[in-house]
Amino acid sequence: MSCEKVQKQISSLLDRELPAGEREGVLAHIGSCRQCGAYWEAFAGLRAQLRGLDRPPIPEDLRARLRVMASHERERRLVRLSLSARMSHWASHARLVFDNLMRPLALPFAGGSLMALVTFSLLVPSLSSFSHNFGDQSWFKPPVPESSYVPGVVHNALIVRSDIVAPEGANAVELTIDEQGKVRDYSVVRGELTPDLQSIIMLPPPFSPATVLGLPIPSKVKVIQYQAPNRRS
Amino acid sequence: MTTSILDLGADRIAETGAEGDDLRLAEALRQGLECAYEELLSRFQQPVYNLALRLLGDATEAADVVQEVFLKVFRNIGSFRGHSTLKTWIYRITVNEAHNARRWFFRHRRREIELDTNPEDTRQWKEAIPDRRRSPYDVAVEREQHVMIEAALSRLNPIFREAVVLRDITGLSYEEIAEILNVSLGTVKSRILRGREALRDQLAGSLNLRPALRLVPKTAE
Ligand SMILES: [Zn+2]
Repeated sequence: MSCEKVQKQISSLLDRELPAGEREGVLAHIGSCRQCGAYWEAFAGLRAQLRGLDRPPIPEDLRARLRVMASHERERRLVRLSLSARMSHWASHARLVFDNLMRPLALPFAGGSLMALVTFSLLVPSLSSFSHNFGDQSWFKPPVPESSYVPGVVHNALIVRSDIVAPEGANAVELTIDEQGKVRDYSVVRGELTPDLQSIIMLPPPFSPATVLGLPIPSKVKVIQYQAPNRRS
Repeated sequence: MTTSILDLGADRIAETGAEGDDLRLAEALRQGLECAYEELLSRFQQPVYNLALRLLGDATEAADVVQEVFLKVFRNIGSFRGHSTLKTWIYRITVNEAHNARRWFFRHRRREIELDTNPEDTRQWKEAIPDRRRSPYDVAVEREQHVMIEAALSRLNPIFREAVVLRDITGLSYEEIAEILNVSLGTVKSRILRGREALRDQLAGSLNLRPALRLVPKTAE
């Protein structure tokens, strides 16, 4: 087994997430290879440090606010429960009366609602073609270059200035770029965090930090991906 | 010698809520039972707070996120069907809420207003717990190392940070993390690896990363 391959497994080995079959080989290698041994030591140490980080107790005022919120939400739910219980009681009662009243009219009524359904379904195709016309990306204006990013298309997404508004139906994240050009944080500004957007956040950054008077400063960019909804499913 | 390697990971947090237990709690919440609301908070408020704190690196922001998370949990408990555990469901809401744009906007604006949040607030609890087992020197060194690790964690790419924090702070399995982040097991594995590599590179030289004495397997916990 090559050192490179072993080192890729060490992190999972420490987490006890390595299949039993692979474990033996990796362990044997670590025992006999100085370089991989050192790698393991560094990772084990780091992992212990991370796990040893303090887990500060939840602040007392937050605890109190949560308790108040819980009791408020519980009240809300109880009100809704009793309301819906009363509603369903009333509804079943009303339906009985209604059924008795309407029985002679049942067939004409069904015919009428069928007619409404047909009319509606005739309308629907024109509605959906209307929303299709929206997909022609007419919203897109060529982004104005700015020092904080290299505008362009990555993973079929657009990297643009942070003040450009993402269109409806798109998925977009706003990235905070630190003074080294690395992504520090992200927020989902529209749609959802798609796998493509995730890989852009993880990319060795195509960003160079913004500068003021030659000094790098933190900045923001927006990444917009236009995507038909529900592609994932 | 090699077997002791594996003992390091033996402190997996014990499972408290089986699936049936989750469904029972969810149903009790839907029925508005007071004890269910108490149970949910006592089970999850502390880990959710710690997760938010490490994702965001700021106590005030973490407190906001925790409130949003529990509001969402209480309001949406009707849609919890037990396809996942309550734990992964709630942590998933937490991760999403930490990257919620609307909240983000207020958070950053507030940060601009309160340029200097009082560091004493976050420090108090640390000093409140004296540790008699270690010398003041050890305590000081350890605190310094914690500060360095926290800083490195905050500089880490947010996608890797999520994976590492869910693993090492929240103590979840790869499978649970995959469910929370909606990615494959292989992706979880590689994000944790890349996150730890980046942390190691950042901390190289500045930190003693060799396993220290306190790495001796803990059997009492
Ligand atoms: Zn080797």
